[in-house]
Amino acid sequence: MTDTKIIKANSSAIQKRLIPTYIFLVFWCLFSVFPLYWMITAATNASIEVARGKIVFGTYAATNFKNLLAAEPLFKSLANSFKYSIVQTVLCLFICSLAGYGFELYHDKAKDKLFGILLLAMMVPQVATMIPLFRMVSDAHLLNTVWAFILPSISTPFMIMMFRQNSRNFPVDIMEAARLDGLSEFAIFFRMYLPVMKSTYAAAAVISFMNAWNSYMWPKVVMNTDTSAMNMPMLIANLAAGYTVDYGTLMMGVLFCSVPTMIIFFILQKQFAEGITGSVK
Amino acid sequence: MNTNSKETSVLAKQHRAGWFFLLPATILIFVLNFYPMFQAFIISLKKGSPAALQWTTPIFNNYTRMLQDKLFIRSVGNTFLYLLIQVPIMLVLAILLAQLLNNKDLKFRGLFRTMVFLPCATSLVSYALIFKSLFATQGLINSVLVNLGIFKENFNFLGTPWSAKMVIIIALIWRWTGYNMVFYLAGLQNIEYSVYEAAKIDGANGWETFWGITVPLLRPVIVMTFIMSINGTLQLFDESMNLTGGGPANSTITMSHYIYNNSFGQGVGNFGYSSALSFIVFIMVAVLAFINLKVGDKRD
Amino acid sequence: MKKRIVSAIMAGTMVASLAACSPSPEAPATSAETKAAGETKAAAETQAAAETQATEAASEDANTLTVYAWDKNFNIPALKAAEADYQKNVNPDFKLNIVEQSQSSDVENAVTLAGSAGDYSTLPDIVLFQDHYFKKYVTDFPEAWASFEGADINWDDFGAEKLSYSTIDGVHYGMPVDNGTVIFAYRTDLLEQAGYTIDDMKGISWDEWIEIGKKVYDTTGKYLLSMDGDGNDLPYMMLQAEGVSQFKDGDINLSENETFKKIIDVIVRGAKENVIYLANDWSDYTDQTIVGDMVAGVMNGNWIIPTIEQVGDNSGKWEITSMPTLEGNGKEGFASNGGSSLYITSNCQNLELAQDFLGKTFGAGSTETYDAALKNGGVITCSAKAGQSAVYNEGIEYFNNTPVYAEIVKMSANVPVVEQSDYHYPTRTQVAAAIQNIINGADADASIKDAEDQVRFAMQG
Repeated sequence: MTDTKIIKANSSAIQKRLIPTYIFLVFWCLFSVFPLYWMITAATNASIEVARGKIVFGTYAATNFKNLLAAEPLFKSLANSFKYSIVQTVLCLFICSLAGYGFELYHDKAKDKLFGILLLAMMVPQVATMIPLFRMVSDAHLLNTVWAFILPSISTPFMIMMFRQNSRNFPVDIMEAARLDGLSEFAIFFRMYLPVMKSTYAAAAVISFMNAWNSYMWPKVVMNTDTSAMNMPMLIANLAAGYTVDYGTLMMGVLFCSVPTMIIFFILQKQFAEGITGSVK
Repeated sequence: MNTNSKETSVLAKQHRAGWFFLLPATILIFVLNFYPMFQAFIISLKKGSPAALQWTTPIFNNYTRMLQDKLFIRSVGNTFLYLLIQVPIMLVLAILLAQLLNNKDLKFRGLFRTMVFLPCATSLVSYALIFKSLFATQGLINSVLVNLGIFKENFNFLGTPWSAKMVIIIALIWRWTGYNMVFYLAGLQNIEYSVYEAAKIDGANGWETFWGITVPLLRPVIVMTFIMSINGTLQLFDESMNLTGGGPANSTITMSHYIYNNSFGQGVGNFGYSSALSFIVFIMVAVLAFINLKVGDKRD
Repeated sequence: MKKRIVSAIMAGTMVASLAACSPSPEAPATSAETKAAGETKAAAETQAAAETQATEAASEDANTLTVYAWDKNFNIPALKAAEADYQKNVNPDFKLNIVEQSQSSDVENAVTLAGSAGDYSTLPDIVLFQDHYFKKYVTDFPEAWASFEGADINWDDFGAEKLSYSTIDGVHYGMPVDNGTVIFAYRTDLLEQAGYTIDDMKGISWDEWIEIGKKVYDTTGKYLLSMDGDGNDLPYMMLQAEGVSQFKDGDINLSENETFKKIIDVIVRGAKENVIYLANDWSDYTDQTIVGDMVAGVMNGNWIIPTIEQVGDNSGKWEITSMPTLEGNGKEGFASNGGSSLYITSNCQNLELAQDFLGKTFGAGSTETYDAALKNGGVITCSAKAGQSAVYNEGIEYFNNTPVYAEIVKMSANVPVVEQSDYHYPTRTQVAAAIQNIINGADADASIKDAEDQVRFAMQG
């Protein structure tokens, strides 16, 4: 450890050298936050003001909110979105972490090869499988259910890969010790692996939740026969369509659709960063 | 190997347990990805109404046909243009941001990091709407540029081919740079600080340390983000669909959007042809990812 | 030991996900909201359907019909008007369960998907469907539809042009809801500034119209017309006013079609001379050019009226008339654009109720239905009988107290029937692209030929 005095003397010089960095970062942050700021102000303005590019807060927030409630089942859709996203996240994390754990900690040639094959699934374009998948879901009488929504996304190569990578950091010694204690392979997973990998689960949860929350194309195909099954992106699409669009109300809807994922990110931010760090080691 | 029979059985047991862990995920991927893909291949050899598909003659007609399809060729061109321009810019910016944010002396690091990441928390439908409104002819960007005297009159960003492409690229950079930055930042945090100290003692400047240390050590992450971005760009859909609608005059349409139009465009429903197109996309993605992996590995 | 843990976890996840997937009626959040939305009954029905594992979307209750429709400011109020009418005058227990779709293509895709799965039981009893696309869907999915055969409906009450979309081999499949008759609305105050009146715009040629447009732009800075440049509505309407189609004997007919070429020339000249403004897409067209007050004229299906009326400041300054034609000299142009009809699907378990409901409301020119549809949604009828009501003949303040609605119903009788095709959609996108390319400097004949080749390519599909 160096002397504190030296650090202090250095720090102002260091900060001076960092000025270009600060300038660049501030500009970038303005660029990335401005559209979001505009989304919030737009939700408080009347439709015409939004279309004409007003960027300060207006007085229409209450009106827009009232119109939104009158036009669409906002709370029902919010509840649906939470329901779909939570079910999908929980199942996806469970299934993919099992697989990632298996691929890494029990790896042999055959399993590595299988993993390579599964990775190919990442490259299958969604539009290609949509039609056959719809037929399967329709045949199984699952249209308009949460199952139809989650099925294509509960086992994804990306998530398996993430858990597989992170599992490298899982100390194998613990496993050996646990085995000597007589724990079964599955017990090791549930008692040892799960608690240790908390941050990986957090990172995976953020990604999975966001994907589920934002999913639009697929739910439109399997859930459009029932208004009460609609999720938030579908609600926004309803607001954005039609012969005339009320932009203030639309932006209020967009706001309600964007805030939950942001909150989740804020809450899990630290664990998210740690989890990702583990996956790129 | 000098194992006795008891140990083998324990090992075998463990291996079997290993397979059990993989089973649910593997079955799901086979049933929900590979089987539909196989079915899509069968459909790609057929034509006609979705309710009564018939085999094409010759059997690969849908595949040979696309060579004459000017619109498909254009959509391939557009997609590759996004790939070649947007992906490098975005990844360079992401590394740069990660590098800046990895500095321990930087104040407000957490705040900066959050703000950089925030865009990718917005839904695709929402962000397309936001950018569409911002770049509208009467929209905010125009009024700012006109008021500053940069433009004489309002410019139709989304109605002019080159600028519509540019808006898509800007929107993509906005949404995805922060996402990639997170991966780089994580990669950087895995690099021991002492490596940099050593470089400093050797007299390397910032630029040299970046190319000499950061990039090589980040290579696995770079390969991963490249594959993710190639995959994402080749399957690009929402931006083309919701931001520009593929227009003006199809100058921004992407492959996935064109495939979607062939399946679900009004009055079309040409499932056979669109399945054939998606197979070609699948092959393109796989080939590019493969090349990427090979190139990434070579320097090892 | 391990078995117990695994099964406990599995059971846990199953319970959690099952609980999440089938909301029970007593779940507080769900019931409160559905009550608030006044949909408790509908929600309970869908739940009942889900519980019995029958994903059938059509209603099974003897007094309920389910319908897919889009646009809560237009079509949906019209359907609600018909529901109220039928409840009041025919069957007090009747219920119409309207499932909102975000756009017309969602309904089309629902039919496509059901057809591809070979299972139409996912369709509702009735769907609202775009007129232009219906024929293709009968060709592709003949088993998806039920007709109005056997129903007692006076079809002569409707405009022939409107019915031409929904009548196939003499069989009526569709019940008209709205009326797509084209109006040309002008801002009389702006015309006056340029030295013209609304009467000067009637029966003129497109060439004369462009000259007027130039003066209007020079004096007021407003375009005389704007249109969604991403579609081919403008050439379609102009062509129909000439009695010509983009198709001939089932084939695409552009490069040899002199009328079509002349019309494209008018559009290109108009766009270059600042008379016509081509917007990027639909929302740009409505929200920027019309609501954003960029234009002195609007020409489109009359359903565009509510959009025009959004600018409250311009009340009293608008009036409507017919379209110009290539020939001019007093020849007025009449066309129709957009519009949709209600179609009964083959999945309807209660065909008689569906036919009776549509027949006694929309089909009978019922004043109660159509007056409310007009008031609440701005939906204008193409039923001659309904057009005679007092509500229709009122002067409309926004349009300088002229009775525009009665006028539109009258105009709808003059719209010529032109050849339709299954390939309306590919033609639409290709023609739009051709126009944009020509404006950007490409050769006109080559671009038109190119568009024609592309449509043929799609036809060979």
